[in-house]
Amino acid sequence: MTEAYVVGAGQSPFGSFPDESYRSLFETAFERALDSVDGGFERERIEEAFVGTLGVGGRQLGLSGPAVTEHVGLHGIPTTRVENACSASGFAFRNAVTAVRAGLADVVLAGGYEIMTDTGSDHTKWWLGVSGETEWERLSGTTFAGVYAQMASAHMDEYGTTAEDLSRVAVKNHRNGARNPNAQLGFECTLEDATSAPTVADPLTLYHCCPTTDGASAVLVASEEVAREVTDRPVRVAGMGASSDRVGLFQRGTLTGIPASRRAAERAYDEAGIEPGDVDFAEVHDCFAIAEIVAYEDLGFCERGEGGQLLRDGVTDPDGALPVNTSGGLKSKGHPIGATGTGQIVEAFEQLRGGAHTQVENPRYGLAHNVGGSGGSATVHVFERSAEGSA
Amino acid sequence: MRGIEAAGVCIPRLRISADAVADAWGRFSGTGIEEKAVPTADEDALTLGIAAAEAAMAEGGVDPRDVSLVSFATTTPPLEEEALAPRLVRALGLSESVSVRTHAQSTLSGAQALSACLSATSPALAVASDLPRGDPAGADHPFGAGAAAFLVTDSAAVTHLDSATYVDEFPGVRYRERGDDEVAGLGATAYERDAVRTSVIEAVNRLDADVSNVHAAAIHQPDTRTPTRATRGLPLDTEPLRRGTVVDRVGDAGAAGVPLGLLSGLASARGDDRTLAVFFGSGGGATAMLFEGSADAGLDDQLDRGERIAYPAYLRQRGYVGGAEVAGGGAHVSLPSWRRSLDQRYRLVAGTCPRCGSLAFPPEGVCPECHRNVDFDRVELPRVGRVRAVTVIGQGGAPPEFTDQQRRDGAYGVAIVELSTDDGSATLPAQLTDVDPETVAVGDEVRAVIRRIYEQEGIPRYGVKFTPTGT
Ligand SMILES: [Zn+2]
Repeated sequence: MTEAYVVGAGQSPFGSFPDESYRSLFETAFERALDSVDGGFERERIEEAFVGTLGVGGRQLGLSGPAVTEHVGLHGIPTTRVENACSASGFAFRNAVTAVRAGLADVVLAGGYEIMTDTGSDHTKWWLGVSGETEWERLSGTTFAGVYAQMASAHMDEYGTTAEDLSRVAVKNHRNGARNPNAQLGFECTLEDATSAPTVADPLTLYHCCPTTDGASAVLVASEEVAREVTDRPVRVAGMGASSDRVGLFQRGTLTGIPASRRAAERAYDEAGIEPGDVDFAEVHDCFAIAEIVAYEDLGFCERGEGGQLLRDGVTDPDGALPVNTSGGLKSKGHPIGATGTGQIVEAFEQLRGGAHTQVENPRYGLAHNVGGSGGSATVHVFERSAEGSA
Repeated sequence: MRGIEAAGVCIPRLRISADAVADAWGRFSGTGIEEKAVPTADEDALTLGIAAAEAAMAEGGVDPRDVSLVSFATTTPPLEEEALAPRLVRALGLSESVSVRTHAQSTLSGAQALSACLSATSPALAVASDLPRGDPAGADHPFGAGAAAFLVTDSAAVTHLDSATYVDEFPGVRYRERGDDEVAGLGATAYERDAVRTSVIEAVNRLDADVSNVHAAAIHQPDTRTPTRATRGLPLDTEPLRRGTVVDRVGDAGAAGVPLGLLSGLASARGDDRTLAVFFGSGGGATAMLFEGSADAGLDDQLDRGERIAYPAYLRQRGYVGGAEVAGGGAHVSLPSWRRSLDQRYRLVAGTCPRCGSLAFPPEGVCPECHRNVDFDRVELPRVGRVRAVTVIGQGGAPPEFTDQQRRDGAYGVAIVELSTDDGSATLPAQLTDVDPETVAVGDEVRAVIRRIYEQEGIPRYGVKFTPTGT
C-alpha cells in the first residue's frame, strides 16, 4: 500500500452569495486548491474525483458530481457523487485516499459543495430535515437543531453541562472565525451575546447553531511519488477512520455521545499509531455547540462528561494545549453541508504547512472530524506534517 | 339486561369563557353557556372519540377483541367522505372482523350510534364525538367540543328500558351546505322552537314508560334554554333537566351533546334511578331513550380540569385564523409507508429479539443489539414512560408539515421517551401535547395519547404523542 498525501487544498469563501452558482463556487475552491500546490498543478493530472453534496434545494439531484467536475475542466474522468448528509465530503475524501492507497490512481480530487441560502426558509427546512430520520424523528415535529437540543438536554441532565458551556463554544469559534477571511460569520461575540440570543430549540440559542451556508471546497490527494515531485511540504494522511450508525438519535444506545465518531476516531488513531494526547489541533464537527462538547468526549480529548470542563479550562482555545476549530468551525466559518468535510481538511492542510489564519505553534498532528446528520455517519482523519525531506 | 356496561368521556383541556367571546363581539349568542371546551390543533372528532372510547374500554370488562360492533357518530368527520371507524378499530386494537358504522350528517347521529349498539346482541361500542364550527361572528359562539363513548353489553350496570323515535320533515334548523364546514340555521325562531319541541314531545310520548319520575333528562341542548322549551308540556321538573345538561360548561357539542348530558345524569343517579335522553336532529326527527342505573365516566373531573384561553388564542386553535398551507412541502412519508407503521403509532408495538431478548422499536431490520436478522416477538410497550431528552420547537421553527399546527397551537415540545418493560426498554421520539412545553424536563413521567400528527396529500395522519402524567 502506498501512502496518500494532501498536496493541495482550497475553499471558496463560505457565506451567502446570490451572484454565485454551485458551479462557480466549486470552481473557486478548485482553482485555489490547484494554486495551493507549490509551483502550481496541471488539472490534467487528476485521474478521478469524489464530490460530496446533499443537494439542498434539489437543484441537480442527478449527476451532481459530473455537473461540477466537467465545469472545471476535468473532462472525462470518473466522477462519483457522495451523499452522507453533512459528512458527504469527509467520505468523498476517504474515497480519494482509498483510491490512491490502492494504487488505482496517483492523483484524486475530493471536494464538495452546497448552496443553501437561495431558497425560502420553509423549502430550506424541508431539505435540512431530510438528513435526520424521517418516519419517526422528523414526524415527531423536530428540526435538526431540535435533535441536537435533545442531545444537549440529556448531556446537561447527566453531566451537569451548562448553557454557558454551550456559549463558550460559540465565543471561541467566533473569535477564531473573525480572523478567517473565508468565514461566513466572521465576528466576535461575548458569552452574554450567546446566552441571551433568541432560543432556536431549547436549550440551544441562535449562537449555539451553525448558519446555512453557500460554499465549496476541494482537496488534492496524491501518491507518495507524485507528492514528492510536486511539493516539499506534503501533508500525510496518517490515519483514517469512518463509521455508520442508525440514522435517528432515538435508535442509538446513547443520547449523550455519537458512537460513530468514537469508532471512527479509534480506527484513525490506531492507523496513525497515536493517542488522542498526540493531537496538536483539531477541526471538529460543531454544527451545534453541544456537538463540539460531545466531540471532545468521543474523540478522547477528555473523559465522558468532561467536555464542558475542557472549555472552561481553555484547553481548546488557540493558545491552549489542544486548539479546536481554529478556522472558526461550522459555527463561524459556516456549514455548506457537502463542502464541510473537505473544508475542514483545508484548515488542517494550512495548519500543518504553517499558513493558517489562526496558526497553532509548530503542530505535527492535526485531526478532522466530520459527522453526518446527528451521528448516522462520521469520518475522522489524522494528518501529519512531513518531517523535512521525508516525502 | 342489555345496556351500558361502562362509559368514557373526553373533554378537550382548553376552555374559553362566554365573557371572553362577548368581549370580542359585543354579544354572546349562546344562552346559558358559561364556558365551552376548545379542541386544540391536534384534536379532531377522531382523537376525541378515541380518548373517550379508550376510557370506556378501560372501565369495562370486555376484551377489545370481543367487541363486535363499533358505531361512530359525528357531524364533523375529519374527511367529508371516507369511513372513520376503521381508524378507531386500529387505534383501540379491536378485531379485524368487527362491524363498523359511521353516523353523520345530523346531531341525531349520536342516537343512531347508541341505538345500533343497543340493538346488537354482543359487546358493542358507541362513540359520539363532535366539534362543530360556524361563523365566528355568531353561529360559532355556542360551539364547544367533546366525546362520549358507551360500551354496550348484555350484563350492564345501566339497563336500557326503552327507545322511541319520531320522524317528520323539519328542515333548516341546523344545516351545513355541501362543501361548507360551517353550520348555519335559518334563524326562523318560532318555527325552529316548534320543530324541536314537536319532535322531542312526540318521541317521548312514544316511549312505553312514564317519565314524570326520572332522575335526570338529557335533552337536545344547543344552549341551556332549549331543553326547558322543548319539554314544555311534559311532566319534567327543572332539577332533572339541570342534571342532564352540560352545554353550560362544554358548549354545544353537536352529536356528542346529549350523550354527554346522559353521562352527566347517570353520574348523579343512584340505585334504580331513571335517566331520559332525547336526541333531536334538524331534518327532522327525535329519538328518546330511557335508562335505569348509574355510571360515572369521570365527566365532572374533566370539566373541572380546564385551562382558560383568550379569544385570539381561541381563533387560532380552532383554525379560524392563522392556519395555512405552506409552500415547500414536507418530508415525504408515503401513505403505504405510514400504514405499515400503524401498530407502532397507535399501539406502541415493539419487537423482542428471540435470540438476545432486547427490544426493538420500531421492530424492523435486524436486532439493534445482536444485529441478527430475527423474527421479532410482538410486544405492546407500556403507555407510560419517562422523558430522556427534550427540546422546545418555538413559534416559527417547525418543519413545514407542522407549520399549520404550530401557528394554531404555538411552541411544542419534542421528547425522546423511554418505555420500559421487564425485558428492557425502547426509546422513541414523540411530540408533547396538552402541556406548556417549557415545563417538561428530563426524567418526567408521560403517558401516550393518540392525536393528529399531520396532514399529507389531504389525508390526516394520527399517532402517538405524550402528555405529562403530573406525577
Ligand atoms: Zn438480538
